[in-house]
Amino acid sequence: MVETTDNLIEVTDLVVKYGDRTVLDGVTFNVPRGETFVILGGSGSGKSTLLRNLVGLMRPHSGCIMFDGKDFTQMNDYDRVEMRKKMGMCFQGSALFGSSTVGENVAMPLLEHTNLERSTIDIMVKIKLELVGLGGFEDYMPAELSGGMRKRAGLARAMAMDPTVIFYDEPSAGLDPIVGAGLDMLILKLKQTFALTSIVVTHELASVELIADCVCMLDGGRVVGLGTLEEVKRSPNAFVQQFFERRANEEGEDNAQYLKALTGDAE
Amino acid sequence: MTAIVGYTGRAFLVSTHAFFSACTLILDTAYWLTIGPLRGRGFRFRAAVEQFVLVGFNSLPIVMLITLLLGAILAMQSAHQLSGFGVSYLVPDLVAVAAMRELAPLMTAILIAGRSGSAFTAEIGTMRVSEEIDALEVMGLNPTKYLVIPKFVGTTLAVPMVTMIGTFTMILGGFLISTSYLGQDAAIYIKSSADALTMKDFANGLTKSVFFAIVICMVGVYRGFQVEGGAEGVGKKTTSSVVTSIFLIVLLDVVFTYLFFSKS
Repeated sequence: MVETTDNLIEVTDLVVKYGDRTVLDGVTFNVPRGETFVILGGSGSGKSTLLRNLVGLMRPHSGCIMFDGKDFTQMNDYDRVEMRKKMGMCFQGSALFGSSTVGENVAMPLLEHTNLERSTIDIMVKIKLELVGLGGFEDYMPAELSGGMRKRAGLARAMAMDPTVIFYDEPSAGLDPIVGAGLDMLILKLKQTFALTSIVVTHELASVELIADCVCMLDGGRVVGLGTLEEVKRSPNAFVQQFFERRANEEGEDNAQYLKALTGDAE
Repeated sequence: MTAIVGYTGRAFLVSTHAFFSACTLILDTAYWLTIGPLRGRGFRFRAAVEQFVLVGFNSLPIVMLITLLLGAILAMQSAHQLSGFGVSYLVPDLVAVAAMRELAPLMTAILIAGRSGSAFTAEIGTMRVSEEIDALEVMGLNPTKYLVIPKFVGTTLAVPMVTMIGTFTMILGGFLISTSYLGQDAAIYIKSSADALTMKDFANGLTKSVFFAIVICMVGVYRGFQVEGGAEGVGKKTTSSVVTSIFLIVLLDVVFTYLFFSKS
């Protein structure tokens, strides 16, 4: 297939376990270069675990994650660091270093991975902060910023090394709809300006409609829908339909499923 | 019966896991302290100096105050006991030897464990809870190199120095009490103290304090990395960090005392 050469990330048969409990079960998908790939799913569907595996914060039980043609799961630490320079991650709670200013936060990866002069780094920090609409906030402490601004600052830090891919963990969680929409627009802008590949974990349907090129839907650790948003919406799968129609579970069903998941009783 | 077997098995698994993760942390620290910088992968000199100031310089007032008072207490207590045998001229010897060998290193280590060891746990624990440690890793910055090494270098340099200052102030406490309250001659007190101390006492106090420093730092950061589940987790691990440190410090002290003085 010609298509595969254009994939930045290829996940094949990924299995992740916590002890005896299988959290991800045979997850397979490809992320084409330059597209926004959205991972959808309910709470406890394994989407955060999937993201942690994609950025290498966890090692899978089996399966492989090819990043730019190299197997990310089998790499030694040195190659892994090299690979990570091409990745940026925007954390749910922004994860800015509370003891450093916003500017120092953005400068951190540059100071560590490059031999640039301090003055050049300062200019780059300014550019990155301008890019996310936070120009002039270099000397603020993270605690002095609002939730939305913190996320933007986190995004500026993720952009610091000019990555080829950015991972977003629930970008609009905990934000009001206006600020959330602003962040969605920013994700779109970055994609269009820098041809960035974006991987977004979310459960906000409004934001999916706006940003997604491709959607992967997870339920109970398995992929239940993969394709464009329209294709996934047309899926006959009961969970997919329930998710898009925002229908609640029958009372008691939630708890029973949760208990089942905890005890690892798959059947 | 099954409950007992289950409990023992679980406890065994948990402790093996804890043992292995502690070993990993120690090996990682050793790597980033020696091979890492040699391979040109950097050393955060400024951060180490900052930690040295935080752990050492900032703890001086409390350490000096406590050791001064302890020296005074020791002089008063021993004078009371020794005068019964008519040998109260031995007070300077007792204070000097006890301070140098035992009390100053132990007291300084306990104070710094409570002050800085707990701060290490709280800092790293909070960073874990707020995903900052994950953020470091994703940015390709090694958490051990970034967080542990500066603390390690700062602490292992600061604790022995503070200990020596503490030893001096403890002897000073004894001196002040003896010369004022007990009416001993100042020059004789100083000479007796100096005569009583040997190089072995000095070596013992200094070696101990280096190992106490390593314990304080490693337990502090290890407990920090263990934090799970929010603010409550940070509080729990901070408490357990101080308790573990103090226990290990006293245990090490027993070992050192045995090694240095069991045969004499």
